[in-house]
Amino acid sequence: MFFQQLKRIWDKIFSSIRTSLIVSFSVLILSALLVFLFVSLNYTQDRILNNSISYTTQIIDLINHDIDSYIDYMENISLLVSNNNDVQQYLFAQTTSPEQQKTLYGRIQAQFKTVIESRSDISNIVVFSNSGRSIVNTGNEVLNEYISLYDLEWAMEAIKRDDGTSLSSSHVQNMIRNKYQWVVTLSRAIRNPYTNERAGLFFIDLNYDIISDLCENNSMGDMGYIYILDEEGNVIYHPQQQLIYSGLKEERIQEVLKSDSRYFVTNEGDHSRLYTISKSEKTGWTVVGVAYTAELMKGKEETQLIYLLTTGILLAVAVIIAIVMSSTITKPIKVLKDSMKEVEKGNFESANIELHSKNEIGSLSNSFNVMTQEIQNLMEQNIVEQRQKRKSELKALQSQINPHFLYNTLDSIIWMAEGGKTKEVVLMTSSLAKLMRQSFSNQAETVSIDKEIEYVRSYLTIQKMRYKDKLEFEISIDESIRHAEIVKLVLQPIVENAIYHGIKYKDEIGLIRIEGFEKDGKILIMIKDNGAGMDKETVEHILEEKKENYRSNGVGIYNVHMRLQLYYGPDYGIKYESRLGAGTIVTVTIPVRQS
Amino acid sequence: MVLIPKIIDNNNEFWTALIAGAKMAAQENGIDLTVVAPDREEDYERQNELILAAVSQKPDVILIAPSHYTKTLEAVKEAKKNDIKIVFIDSEVEEPVWDSIVATDNFIAGTKMGNLAKQYIDDETQIAVVGHVKTSSTAIERIRGLEYILGSRKSQIVDMVFCDSSFDKAYALTVELIHKYPDLDLIVGTNEYSAVGAANAIKDMGLTGKVKMVGFDNSIEEVQLLEEGVFVGIVVQKPFNMGYLGVEQAYKIISREEFKVQLDSGSELITKDNMYTEENQKLLFPFVGRQFRETTD
Repeated sequence: MFFQQLKRIWDKIFSSIRTSLIVSFSVLILSALLVFLFVSLNYTQDRILNNSISYTTQIIDLINHDIDSYIDYMENISLLVSNNNDVQQYLFAQTTSPEQQKTLYGRIQAQFKTVIESRSDISNIVVFSNSGRSIVNTGNEVLNEYISLYDLEWAMEAIKRDDGTSLSSSHVQNMIRNKYQWVVTLSRAIRNPYTNERAGLFFIDLNYDIISDLCENNSMGDMGYIYILDEEGNVIYHPQQQLIYSGLKEERIQEVLKSDSRYFVTNEGDHSRLYTISKSEKTGWTVVGVAYTAELMKGKEETQLIYLLTTGILLAVAVIIAIVMSSTITKPIKVLKDSMKEVEKGNFESANIELHSKNEIGSLSNSFNVMTQEIQNLMEQNIVEQRQKRKSELKALQSQINPHFLYNTLDSIIWMAEGGKTKEVVLMTSSLAKLMRQSFSNQAETVSIDKEIEYVRSYLTIQKMRYKDKLEFEISIDESIRHAEIVKLVLQPIVENAIYHGIKYKDEIGLIRIEGFEKDGKILIMIKDNGAGMDKETVEHILEEKKENYRSNGVGIYNVHMRLQLYYGPDYGIKYESRLGAGTIVTVTIPVRQS
Repeated sequence: MVLIPKIIDNNNEFWTALIAGAKMAAQENGIDLTVVAPDREEDYERQNELILAAVSQKPDVILIAPSHYTKTLEAVKEAKKNDIKIVFIDSEVEEPVWDSIVATDNFIAGTKMGNLAKQYIDDETQIAVVGHVKTSSTAIERIRGLEYILGSRKSQIVDMVFCDSSFDKAYALTVELIHKYPDLDLIVGTNEYSAVGAANAIKDMGLTGKVKMVGFDNSIEEVQLLEEGVFVGIVVQKPFNMGYLGVEQAYKIISREEFKVQLDSGSELITKDNMYTEENQKLLFPFVGRQFRETTD
């Protein structure tokens, strides 16, 4: 069922060359465009992702580098402070007087003040020794007496490490009384110049001003962000640090630490993220850039739209071209087809095709034109030939005056002249003269009914004189049809037949009556006689060819009938009605044509 | 949304953190959040006025930390009448008129105090409780949790006094207790006022270490008393989480997502030994980063 239906649709589409061409072109172009679209979209997507990866990698590396420089700068400060003679003197000298101590304290504290006031990213700057001497910030703050240096991991690391510096993770600084702040601490052990032991500590607490600036000023898109982990995976900085610390948000930390690659993409559907990782050798910190692929691919939708639009426009243009082209190709074929239809109907005049192109169809059309022209010529020739043939046939069928009739009439004239019947001789001779004249006269096939009647009248006049009182005739023709035309020499043979086969065999006076009138758009001429009449069988066969019985005058009724039909068509001709002993009515039917 | 805590006071760490959490959740979800509150925590009449004023603005949700167990009820009912969703934060009222409540499960918090106290208790130990408000649901629940853990040793609680959330009264009551029970070994304070008031009395009387203190809530002062060893431990709530989760619940209600009718924002026990661990310093000290500052300004 389905396949049948499909086949029907298929057949319908490919039933015309034009739709076949359009459909084929369109399908071809559409598939080409779709392949193009698919390939370019995938390619674009890959390119965008790769570009994004290299872009974010660059940014992250740059941030990492900036952070290294920042820490470097702080290390330099720590180096300056811990190697500073004033600081070492103040912390460790045993022999200085209180005045000297105070001077040293003042100098160091002034320097600390400058640092604190000029840099908002430094929360605390502190030196202290294990003997209890310390300088904290601007001098208004003191150390927290409940916290021991030896409990602090970061401080112990600085003291134990060879280079004497340590960088902590994010932690709460609890070394200063009444001040608990989240900071990153850079610390450095200070050597006692007298014992050469690491007996003091310098530390500088960094709040997140510079770090967040560095991380936030670089774009990872509107939703993307940057965070920093230490070597153990503790969060040093995160834009949502409080939420992560509160356990309200989670960050992918293990994945980052375990990742072998510089980047990975999470599989979270629309929320998929691109993680880019950069680890610093100096700090041991890992800077992680997080970008939302949806945002990175924002350009993708635009590109997709442009591709789709282009594809759509190309498709539309291609379809239009396909339509126009197939029309151009098939239009001459259609013209040819229409023209052939006309030829089928026989309209050769409108079948000629105007030629526009010289391609195959042009030459086909040309051949067609030649062919139709040839056919037309042949047909015209045929018509002429047919007409001539008919003409000659008509001529052949045209009755001639029976020679016996002529001899008999001339004999009658002689007899009458010998009898001194001058009057009769004149009448018969003049009638014969009229008859002869008309019979031999013009070449025209037709005459007016008037003339034809005159001819018959002459004939009847002669016959009446020959048959003496045995024959009477009456002629009544409507005035309106007198000038209508009729094939000539039609009535005379009928009348002759009436006389020789009707009246002749009758003892009483025979009457021949000729009536002419118009009826239903046709002219009827009736020749009635009250002669012997015919039996039914004779009537039925009377119009057949070569009836021996009726060959008396050489020209049969059949010939008359044939001539009428040849000339006027099958609707016209002669009709016989007869009854044995009562008479015969012959009706000649012809169209109304004015001569 | 409108958030009506008990107080807006930049010196109060609990409420500052709670409001910061709420604002951060609002910012994250693109919610327009207005915060209004009385100047004093116990001013329930002012809070009722603020609730009614909020109702007239027809917000989708009002988040309230009700100041009074009974006297806040009428104003809340008025809001309910106006088809406004109610989310309670921190505290509740006598009738369950809320759509959702985010608060510390105080019974569980009480058991945490009990678990700590139990480590310092033997057959001879005498225990006293300095409560905050005798009729408050928070005090009742916390003490119930404590007693549940003490079990049979519940009888060793020699006295239970209430300071009505006043440092001074807590201080005075503690001095009285020490005089009354010279062999007292352990005092449990049930909120910041009780705990800090009592701890300061112990410290001032030179009994640090002799009379062990179990505290509740979190402030700089309490942290310092913990460092000093006056407290053997404190149970802290999570106000930031409370605010954040409260707004998140409210958001889920209006966006027709699944939400919890009752949500425990949690509590943790912190001792002197573990107060500066990775995890606990996060509980004791909010991360005052840029984001935090921006939301609290």
